[in-house]
Amino acid sequence: MTLQVERLDEVVTALRTVLADDQILTSRADRLNRARVPAPFPVHRWTERLPDLAVLPTSTEQVAGVVRIANDLRVPVVPRDGGTGLTDGAVPLRGGIVVDVKRMNDVREIDLENRTVRVGTGINMLKLNEQLARHGLFYPDDPASYPCSLVGGRIGTSGWSLIGARYGHTRDLVLSFDHVLPTGEVMHVGDGIGHQISKSSSGYQLKHLFMGHQGTLGIATEATLKLYPKPEAELSPFWAFDNYDDAYRCVGALARAGVATFAGAVLFDEWKVAYLRRDDEAYIPQPGDVRALVCAVMYGYEDEVRPAGRRLFRIAKEHGARYLGDEISEGDWAARHDRYATPLHGRTKDGQVVPMSWHCEDAAVNYTRLPAVSKVWHEIVADLRRKTDVFDDWGMFAYTSADTGVDYLTEIDVGIWEQQLDDRAWELWVRAKRDIAAVALANNASISACHGSCREGEVDLVPQELGRGYDVMLDLKRTLDPNNIMNPGKYHLDRAYRAGGR
Amino acid sequence: MSPAEHGAGDEDARIGYRYAEQHDPPPPERVSDVALTTFEHVFEVDPRLMERWVLQQQFPNWDSLRIMNSRHDHLEWMHRHFADRVVTGSELLAEVEREAPG
Repeated sequence: MTLQVERLDEVVTALRTVLADDQILTSRADRLNRARVPAPFPVHRWTERLPDLAVLPTSTEQVAGVVRIANDLRVPVVPRDGGTGLTDGAVPLRGGIVVDVKRMNDVREIDLENRTVRVGTGINMLKLNEQLARHGLFYPDDPASYPCSLVGGRIGTSGWSLIGARYGHTRDLVLSFDHVLPTGEVMHVGDGIGHQISKSSSGYQLKHLFMGHQGTLGIATEATLKLYPKPEAELSPFWAFDNYDDAYRCVGALARAGVATFAGAVLFDEWKVAYLRRDDEAYIPQPGDVRALVCAVMYGYEDEVRPAGRRLFRIAKEHGARYLGDEISEGDWAARHDRYATPLHGRTKDGQVVPMSWHCEDAAVNYTRLPAVSKVWHEIVADLRRKTDVFDDWGMFAYTSADTGVDYLTEIDVGIWEQQLDDRAWELWVRAKRDIAAVALANNASISACHGSCREGEVDLVPQELGRGYDVMLDLKRTLDPNNIMNPGKYHLDRAYRAGGR
Repeated sequence: MSPAEHGAGDEDARIGYRYAEQHDPPPPERVSDVALTTFEHVFEVDPRLMERWVLQQQFPNWDSLRIMNSRHDHLEWMHRHFADRVVTGSELLAEVEREAPG
């Protein structure tokens, strides 16, 4: 806790001018729950991540009131949506107030003619789509945390979607939103001033600036989203290969084919295949000679998906693929929408099962650099594993980000024995994360396609990645958040307030 | 024992009675050097690998099958949630094979 008791009383008293008592949570359990995120961390240091209190606003006005008070009293504010992010965006590093938006979870307007929906940002995509299905509509933002992440968090992290190659990612699907600035002012952000405008050439394009800031530039409270017809048909074939090179060439050819219903393709390397054979997550039967896998997924009308699917099967056949069957293909794809509910374990070097949490380091890597990045990343994790059983290499996959196959969300999954994660092991992990990010940059990649880059380790390389752009980030942060109250400690943005600025 | 403790909501669970054959799993068959199978779709880690840090528990059949069936229900639900129907890959593969036999 960072606030003294008297100061906490002052904050709570001020918050009671904008919130009811049951919207202000100060108990230890309420605060502990809001320090939890899926990415492993040294659990003996959990109390370092505790907020002083949490609030549950129900409107933009209440959020603005809370932020205004925090700014006046110079108390940190951390926005929290689903808390499913992998880069600790929702973790308070300096205590303060966690603004939990989950009560702002209502559907406010469905515009069937313009194909948009206006929602509170605390709504979850699965619950939204249950309502939209009654109208034959669909909001296709599909992270691996689909059942538990919220629209506001997708905005704050600029989320990546499993089916983004077909429908775009969060930045493409969110047309506009109401946003509370760090001073408590409310701004509408969209293309121009439009609520339902998909393309404007009026003024600076501010929408992207206020997405993906990891809560450092304010809080989105209401969003207008683009809608599509609910797909009539889904196809998700899984193919096996006896070598990596054929699988690599195949995934590239599938992504470059230019098939309109193509929603994504994934390349699994031999470490991932070995992991799937271990039953540490789910046992997936495969012939012994399988060394790599590729899957693809398509959505659309059935009379689009069938001929396009045949085209993909022809491409796969040309590359020596073996179809793994309907059961594995359909089951694995359905499971990809919900990776956060899976119980996991890993192995010590002598093969014994241990409870492990999942972490993944990702980068946005061009197709031609995938093999080089994969090789060095596995070497980094192998070096970690030589030093301690706390870490286990769970393999890599590369996932198309776009419909042309230009770049891939490239991810190495690492099992972490969280109960044994002491300060020494954590330091090894942070160093490895930094090394993983450095390999990405050396290959002209971006440090992250999806998970974000403000955790210990990789965050040190963000100024190197962005160059002069990082200085612009510092200038913007200082201008918009003059008192550094909005999620302080992230992205090394404290540098914006030091003498000399940069 | 309450229905909640049984973990199932069907009529059998409310009565709370299980027949003998619902308890003891069949002898496991090895599917790889690290995994075994008991029922179709039910796999488990070789117990020799769960002797130190995490000890393997024996589940009664009815519970293993309940978990496995629930998992399948969940996956089916996800398919229906994302699309009205699933196009089966094996059908398309057969069509492609017919186009260019051999």
